[in-house]
Amino acid sequence: MSGGGEKGLGATKTPADFLKSIRGRPVVVKLNSGVDYRGILACLDGYMNIAMEQTEEYVNGQLKNKYGDAFIRGNNVLYISTSKRTLPEGS
Amino acid sequence: MASSNNEEESAVKEPLDLIRLSLDERIYVKLRSDRELRGKLHAYDQHLNMILGDVEETITTVEIDDETYEEIVRTTKRNVQYLFVRGDGVILVSPPLRTA
Amino acid sequence: MLFFSYFKDLVGREVTVELKNDLAIRGTLHSVDQYLNIKLENTRVVDQDKYPHMLSVRNCFIRGSVVRYVQLPPEGVDTDLLHDATRREARGG
Repeated sequence: MSGGGEKGLGATKTPADFLKSIRGRPVVVKLNSGVDYRGILACLDGYMNIAMEQTEEYVNGQLKNKYGDAFIRGNNVLYISTSKRTLPEGS
Repeated sequence: MASSNNEEESAVKEPLDLIRLSLDERIYVKLRSDRELRGKLHAYDQHLNMILGDVEETITTVEIDDETYEEIVRTTKRNVQYLFVRGDGVILVSPPLRTA
Repeated sequence: MLFFSYFKDLVGREVTVELKNDLAIRGTLHSVDQYLNIKLENTRVVDQDKYPHMLSVRNCFIRGSVVRYVQLPPEGVDTDLLHDATRREARGG
């Protein structure tokens, strides 16, 4: 209940509060396989299913694919991290 | 979870909405064990079990050359008319590019 | 429930079940349950040369969790029906 209205990420109290607070932000999602997805987090649910926009797929640090929208099945997710994304070049 | 505001049916409020909006559209599905599918989405459920139509499956394999130890990446493709896909193998689903 | 109902209606048809260990078995769908466990009859393994030990298997029970794909007979797919059922499921689920 507390901290629900807080804007700053530093003020979030629980993992659920964190997840609520990062919608619309640039994030890095790491999967169990080691693959990274960078993009704007559109929304997520209790299974950690994730919808992302402007998604870039990185395998071993190398850009492998781009997706306009992407749904990631939650069971594959290792972590979600906020990122300061530099604007994608040439797009 | 029955939503009363029908005028917002095209909004993405939860991740599965992205899949809902892709019904009857061609989608890209990334699966475990280096498999990819492209096909028309005809049915799905909350587990991401799906039925796809006019499916093209791409399997990527990496072999090591015996002499040079170079990695040789091979892709094999096949087509299936209708395919049920079990959801537990799904990693990522990408709908066609929508004009926002 | 959507796919359980769907496969129940498919009973009696020929399907090819592809397993996560790459084994593909073709046979007549005998029955299915809520876990999408599947019983096949008159089975034959698609790649018999690779799996000769399966030659004498005439019917089998397949645990749902080991299934990767099921190739469906085109005459067993009504896309309009599937679309409607999926929309109903999405609302209720």
